[in-house]
Amino acid sequence: MIKINNLTATVNGGQQTILNGLSLEVPAGEVHVIMGPNGAGKSTLSYVLTGKDGYDVTGGCVDYFGQDLLALKPEERAAAGVFLSFQYPLEIPGVPTMTFLRTALNAQLKARGEEPMAAPAFLKKAREIAKTLKMKPDMLKRPLNVGFSGGEKKRMEIFQMMMLEPKFIIMDETDSGLDVDALRIVADGVNVLRRPDHCMLVITHYQRLLDYIVPDRVHVLAAGKIVASGDANFAKKLEKEGYDIYAA
Amino acid sequence: MPLSTENILEHLPHRRMEAWKWTDVRTKVRGKEQGLSAEQRLDITCGEGIVVRREAQPKSESVMGKFADNFIRAAMVITVPAGFKSRTPVVIIAQGGGHARIVYKLGKGARLCVREVYESLDSVFSNIDIQFELAQGAGLTRTLFHNDTAGTVRIVTANINAWAEASIIQHTLSFGGALSRLETRVASFGENLKADIHGAYLLKGKRHCDMTSSIDLAAPGANIRQSVKGVTRGRARGVFQGKFHVRKSAQLTDAKMRHDVIMQSDTCEIRSKPELKIYADDVACAHGNTIGVLDESALFYMRQRGIPKAQAEALLTEVFVAEAFDNMANNTDFMTRISTWLEENS
Repeated sequence: MIKINNLTATVNGGQQTILNGLSLEVPAGEVHVIMGPNGAGKSTLSYVLTGKDGYDVTGGCVDYFGQDLLALKPEERAAAGVFLSFQYPLEIPGVPTMTFLRTALNAQLKARGEEPMAAPAFLKKAREIAKTLKMKPDMLKRPLNVGFSGGEKKRMEIFQMMMLEPKFIIMDETDSGLDVDALRIVADGVNVLRRPDHCMLVITHYQRLLDYIVPDRVHVLAAGKIVASGDANFAKKLEKEGYDIYAA
Repeated sequence: MPLSTENILEHLPHRRMEAWKWTDVRTKVRGKEQGLSAEQRLDITCGEGIVVRREAQPKSESVMGKFADNFIRAAMVITVPAGFKSRTPVVIIAQGGGHARIVYKLGKGARLCVREVYESLDSVFSNIDIQFELAQGAGLTRTLFHNDTAGTVRIVTANINAWAEASIIQHTLSFGGALSRLETRVASFGENLKADIHGAYLLKGKRHCDMTSSIDLAAPGANIRQSVKGVTRGRARGVFQGKFHVRKSAQLTDAKMRHDVIMQSDTCEIRSKPELKIYADDVACAHGNTIGVLDESALFYMRQRGIPKAQAEALLTEVFVAEAFDNMANNTDFMTRISTWLEENS
């Protein structure tokens, strides 16, 4: 499980406080959703949890399956099972997708003291997952995300997620830019990773994703902290009524 | 008359000469004049059909070639007959110090591959002047690998004279030395010269590498592609000077020059001077020069996937440099050396 306690974080060298005493607990096996107005701190939360430079934690703590998450480097958090599906996945020209992913997977395995995955097993797994996600085979041969459409990039994020099998998944607006068919495929991929010992934090603006990934809890993030929470039906209410009463 | 130890420095290029302002040979060798007057023995191997002789030659036109002429009486002359074609390269290995001159004469339609390895074993001063004469339709594929000791001063000057329909493919990989300059000067005297001149330098510590080039076009239809990539760390210095001189007679020239550098420390240094002199009116000439750092967002993306920072930096640096060698027939050796360097220095 992940337990965030009274987290505060700043950007711009401390000039701007984005997270302001945020507390949240996602038990193992559960999917929690974060919704909220623009600028509330949703993406900042994802970057703080994954250790991006430029986001300074000024207070609070994050317990991740018994570990102090904030004490770890980004790659150590990844090796411990933290995965961020980026809102805007990066293009990395010159680095073939499969080379990138195999390097990442074996780096994680090494950090965990496990044996690297041999090329044949890696390729077999990659082909199977690509088929499940209905990805074009040539996407795996091209440099990472280069020339991909917005939807293809999001699908590639899910492909990476399924290859790396993380324990804690943060999805930052993965549904944006996806058509209905792609949304269903992506959601199916995510649901495969719903396991009793895994947990997920889904950041989204739209209820439609939650038709396919049914959450255990829905939270409203406004002005840097959780201001309201509810069950799966709460998302429908939020979509209907908006955030004005929470942002005030 | 031989130069005396006392006045030898006066004949070396220095920082007050525009073309040498960032590669001050005189200052670098001051106090080490004893090593400046030797002749260098080169290790040359070549396949059948190529004639190698030691012959007296007219004086060199280049600054450092003229300096070499003070100490050596003959050049190695490598003659390649008209129509000659071989995949076996001429291999030049220069590990010692001193001066040497090489003259290549390629007959009409001849095709030649030359592989030059500049890898000193001790701290030496090495000055090599090379002349290539490319007759009509001749093709030269030249590959240079440079990795000197941190105390070596290395100057390699190549003067390439190209006649009609000649072609040049050149790739250079340098890890620098105490002071190094790998200079390429091309002059076209016939139409439709095709030249691809690419290179990369990766420098650490206090190493210095200067990739200077001058392409002087006097005939129409030339197609020139030049790109140099640089990676600098520590207190290293990278120098790029690229010049396209398009004379009035060189109509329909299509020439592009790029120099792109990633600086990986606050104390390293890049000096760059792209230069276009265009006197013909129906040409396309362009140059680009960029200096930056590795993309922080890309680095974070890779680290978020579990790739350690040093490994992510090495991977991004490798793909950046690799672009210089994309069109090599076989870039495996260069890419292996680059990844080894990155691994050892990460």
